[in-house]
Amino acid sequence: MLSRKRWLPAVLLALFAGLVVVGCGGSDNGGGGGNASDNQVLKWGLGSEFQLDPGLATDTTSAKLVLNIFDPLVKLDDKLNAAPSMAESWDVNGAKVVYHLKSDSKWTDGTPVTAKDYEYSWKRALSPELASDYAYQLFGIKGATEYNSCKSNCAALKDKVGVKATNDTTLEVTLTSPQPWFVQQSAHSVFLPVPQKAVEKFGAKWTRPENIVTNGPFKVEAAQPSASITLVKDPDWRDADSVKLERVEGKIIVDGTTAVQSFEAGEVDVLDEQLPPAETPRLKDTPEYQLYPGLGTTYYGFNVKDNIKDVNQRRAMSLAVDRQSIIDNITQANEKPADAFTPVGMPGREDIVTTASPWTPAHGDLAKAKEYMAKATNAKKNITIYSNESPPNKEVAEALQSMWKQIGITSSIKILEWQQFLEFLGPPPPKSVDIYRLGWVGDFVDDINFLELWTCDSGNNNTGFCDKGYDANVAKAKNTPDNTARYKVYDQLEQTLTGQDGVLPIIPLWYITYPNLERESVKDTFNINLLDQVDLTKVEIKG
Amino acid sequence: MTAFIIRRLLWTIPVMLLVILLTFLLMRQIAGNPFRRTARAVPVEIQQNLERKFHLDQPWYVQYALYVKGVFTLDLGPSLTLRDRSVNDIIKEHFPKSLELGLLAFIWAIAVGIPMGVIAALRQNTFWDYSLMFVSNVGYAVPSFLIATLLIYYVSLKANLLPTNGWDGGWQYKVLPAFALGLAPMAYFARLVRGSMLETLQQDYIRTAKAKGLRWRRVVAVHALRNSMIPAVTAMAPTLGYIITGTFVIEIIFSIPGIGRYFVTAVSSRDYSVVMGITVLTSFVIVLANLVVDILYGILDPRTRDART
Repeated sequence: MLSRKRWLPAVLLALFAGLVVVGCGGSDNGGGGGNASDNQVLKWGLGSEFQLDPGLATDTTSAKLVLNIFDPLVKLDDKLNAAPSMAESWDVNGAKVVYHLKSDSKWTDGTPVTAKDYEYSWKRALSPELASDYAYQLFGIKGATEYNSCKSNCAALKDKVGVKATNDTTLEVTLTSPQPWFVQQSAHSVFLPVPQKAVEKFGAKWTRPENIVTNGPFKVEAAQPSASITLVKDPDWRDADSVKLERVEGKIIVDGTTAVQSFEAGEVDVLDEQLPPAETPRLKDTPEYQLYPGLGTTYYGFNVKDNIKDVNQRRAMSLAVDRQSIIDNITQANEKPADAFTPVGMPGREDIVTTASPWTPAHGDLAKAKEYMAKATNAKKNITIYSNESPPNKEVAEALQSMWKQIGITSSIKILEWQQFLEFLGPPPPKSVDIYRLGWVGDFVDDINFLELWTCDSGNNNTGFCDKGYDANVAKAKNTPDNTARYKVYDQLEQTLTGQDGVLPIIPLWYITYPNLERESVKDTFNINLLDQVDLTKVEIKG
Repeated sequence: MTAFIIRRLLWTIPVMLLVILLTFLLMRQIAGNPFRRTARAVPVEIQQNLERKFHLDQPWYVQYALYVKGVFTLDLGPSLTLRDRSVNDIIKEHFPKSLELGLLAFIWAIAVGIPMGVIAALRQNTFWDYSLMFVSNVGYAVPSFLIATLLIYYVSLKANLLPTNGWDGGWQYKVLPAFALGLAPMAYFARLVRGSMLETLQQDYIRTAKAKGLRWRRVVAVHALRNSMIPAVTAMAPTLGYIITGTFVIEIIFSIPGIGRYFVTAVSSRDYSVVMGITVLTSFVIVLANLVVDILYGILDPRTRDART
């Protein structure tokens, strides 16, 4: 009987063997691609699903892509100054901005690109039917807010929006007030032109690779929005001669660990989103590791209205924080310790943060912290820290917990899921919150984008801090087109927040960085600017 | 049998309605704003436009009615976060990938798991039994993300045999994810079949079959195997339903654009319509899989047939 049963294990073994063969006998797939300099193909690891409609793009992956397949009026250079792109030049005269466009550009369907395309696109982005998330970027234009929030009479309000193509190459913009940052702001993806004919013909499906019409240096050859995108150089683009790359093969890799493995296996040349913090210590000394400063500040905000009312306690808690040690041991992405709310890299920062805050030493000052804690009458010595769950926020909260323990403050940490966290924080801040973690990343280039956060009515002011004088200064800054004069006002605002006699509603911790992995053949030319944008026309694969 | 199938299919309608209602209510119970993605608060005007566009400014029962109407006209609505796609597009694009991955994993899990269980039972308490059950225990106990990460590290990165991630582009992309996904069900089926096989082998009719001089192979293949399949078949329905409707972990780790990855990101971004759409799809698939299993019961065990017609 035993002999009869022998066939069964044999079958099983064969099956397993088969699997092993299938599993391991694989092809020669994978491995590094050719890196010859005549092979101008960039393999690019992307962090998330994308959408190619500039009016709807909200995430950084989409923004990076659309800025390279459509032609912005202006681009931002390394110092965030506006540089000509589709606009050859521009005149700013108070609240009036006039862009002079180049005349030699065509859409991929052969029709010329004109100022009318921009007028159409901006009004489309503002239309309540499109309900664009980034429509507020255009709210500086006269009549824009009214049109965007119209309930009736929308057509008439649309005509009143202050953007007009007076001829094929002239785009006239009327702003609600002089806004010296507007030209730089128009480098944002929501200001990109969209092809009116294709949009009207295909509706929401106009961004499909078979329908899309573009006018940028690269065109879409193939796209699967959640898996991959292939861009090819458009040989008919107005400045095609300056474009080195022939092809860009973008591949979406959502999981950070997998992304790193994919890079190490040679499947992608650049990984520019979502390097997992856990991998940083291992990667940061490799030649492929690249760090870019970002225009963003990570901070902890106090509930100054209900709980941490004594400024001396806030000073003490800020003094007790060893920012450098958190950066060295936890975040590890070489962030700059923050000494003010306005981040490094912000135009005019030297004039805005003229005197360093005495409350934010990079290594902390425990003795001084204890001194101020002693000065605090009415200190709250048992506090709750709120943070969201994504790494390394919890570790940072724990580090702060132990630092504050040294000045006699015991704390418990509450970690919430991101969406619930945002909703929970208010404003107005809930009474249970003593201090919370958040960050702020600028989306256009002027400090108003940061300092406006702390006005009484700001939807992002979760501290309960409200100072009419501060609000008046914000209003004053908005009406001060001259940079030097405006930066002086910003200086006052920054002093009110973090200066010697500042209210200190927040503890600035560090200025963010964007860590990348970039193959040595591209790392010199692939660059991320402070607003997390990349200009693929500058990229070149070196042999 | 036909009447039975029709009745079961009709039953899916109230089941689906209930599933939609529950998901709908639960999803709105968790705090969050689908239009807020970063720390930046959404300006009031923008929020109002978005709510109007997606009917979120309507009372919940109107939204529910609109949604149910959509489901029965096979229009699952627009995605709230991926604005240039509808939920139908998302399902059309991603479900086939999850389906393919799930089926591959399921097939190998069955093809290996069931023979493993049979052998272990036939060779109870021998080296074969112990080693097969050891493999099965390990397969069941080790979480799939660990298996997946180890496979990528050794097979793709160190040995450079297969790509580390991706799906479209050939069979090389499918081996590791299908293996990682099928491992736990394989182990589960092996244990299930071993147990029921052992029990079946104790039955009187097996002894009778042996006593009347049937060849052992025939006793096992015809009498024992068929009856010991019932628990495995019962377990197959939810397993199949679960693995073909997308598995978050495997899809994330291998960057497979399947529906499971979407589902979880949709929940965390509060993309209500995508969550609803995928839930409707998943429950429909599971209801269907259960129906198939009930039909299989009838084939395996004639006694259950009459009771069900």
